[in-house]
Amino acid sequence: MSAPLRRVQQAPRHLLVCEKGHARHPRSRHAAHVRDHAYNCRVSILIPECGILPEVLKSTVADFGVYYLVKNLSVHELVAHEFIDSFVKKGSCYALTYNTKIDQDNTAALLPTGKLILSVDKDTYEELGLQGRPSRYSGKKAMRYIITIDLTDSDFHPDGKKHKRVLWALKEKKPLEFDFLMAWYNTGMLRIPLSTELISLLGAEGSTLMSYFPKNQIRALKPKITFSTLRDLQCPALQSNELEGKPEESCSTEELFEWLGAVLNQVNLDNKSSSFISTYCCPQPNTTVDQAFLCTITGFIIPDKIIQLLEQLCSYFSEPKLAHWLTLTVHGFADSPVSWRENEHGFHKGGENLYNFVVFRNLDYWLQMAVGTNDDCPP
Amino acid sequence: MAPPPATFERRVLRSAAGHHYLRVRLELPDGGARPNAAQLKQLVVAALRELHGEVGAALPVDVLTYEEKTLSAILRVVSSGFVKLWSALTLLGFYQNRRCAFRVLQFTCKSWRQS
Repeated sequence: MSAPLRRVQQAPRHLLVCEKGHARHPRSRHAAHVRDHAYNCRVSILIPECGILPEVLKSTVADFGVYYLVKNLSVHELVAHEFIDSFVKKGSCYALTYNTKIDQDNTAALLPTGKLILSVDKDTYEELGLQGRPSRYSGKKAMRYIITIDLTDSDFHPDGKKHKRVLWALKEKKPLEFDFLMAWYNTGMLRIPLSTELISLLGAEGSTLMSYFPKNQIRALKPKITFSTLRDLQCPALQSNELEGKPEESCSTEELFEWLGAVLNQVNLDNKSSSFISTYCCPQPNTTVDQAFLCTITGFIIPDKIIQLLEQLCSYFSEPKLAHWLTLTVHGFADSPVSWRENEHGFHKGGENLYNFVVFRNLDYWLQMAVGTNDDCPP
Repeated sequence: MAPPPATFERRVLRSAAGHHYLRVRLELPDGGARPNAAQLKQLVVAALRELHGEVGAALPVDVLTYEEKTLSAILRVVSSGFVKLWSALTLLGFYQNRRCAFRVLQFTCKSWRQS
């Protein structure tokens, strides 16, 4: 086949990593994968054979914390030592620019590890004068650069040359100002049992971000939570030990992934193969459940909350339940400069970076991590 | 007896998705009657026929969801036909002699997120 014809039939590169394991295995990496994915904009939970919010999830869903929208924040304020000492070194601080496009605009992100990532265009990079590297996805002629600044580095102290250079570049040479989505999680409190007094103290600790920035600049927001009950839902039959599925017995992980996307987008699953409009239907073999509970949480959601949610979903099966499995789907921001850890993320045509857990009754789990063309393979 | 816990397994699937998805919106600036789902599907097939002939028109395309109010839809196409579909939608200019355009809002091969 000639090259142009071959290109017409080629779809853009994409990756789906499927892992299977047991949630209670000491070396299970499920929590690590969640923690490595810093920026999450949507979490969806689907529980078959369930009509209302389960008891185990009520407290976690009710108190999902707050995140903050900080307007017109100069990036040099994030490298100020007051900010680093108050938030970056004392917990997990997350920040991501809001309403910036990763393939067109300058973008910044602060990881909980203390790394500040700046994804800038060529002109901004040359004006800033900070050391960075060309983007892996900008082609032969580098038009986008990534600058990484480790705010917790021992060399990055107020009197050091590094700090002075960075501050000069961001404050005087090329000031960068964005709207940021921010969240702060005081990790020091995690080891203490959460009594009601401590929960209120956590709230007070979290509000120090509110007191740090001027009142007219910062706004506290709560994630939006919606519930719905789906009736007569066709669900694929799954076997936790068979990732590839077994003919006539269970569906594969890819079939489940596609089906889940259809359910979350309210696609009709009951089409005939002769239908003109759509022929998509639930993969076989499947069972029809009377009801399924769907909960969607949208906002700036930090991994620590998702880990809590995942633990509660595992404890959902501590009592006998009709459901054989449930799912937890997490979508990352399409315009985030990183996907997992510090892996560079690009938009290309979709910007997808998401993962999905399927938790089975016996606490086996499947984890599917999906990325697009301009992405590294998830860890 | 309960089955033993699953052993760890990891599979990496590179460009293995059988289908790709496009979220599209039809722009009809004249404000006239809006097409229904079947008419939209017919329009997509006509666009494929115009650019890629009868073989293109036979490409399996599903209209998974369609909102008549916003004229937005999610289309599903087999991966090998994704380039043909997108190019056909790009070059479509008329619907029943009315000027129109397809805007591709999002494209992916994975579980979607809603806008």
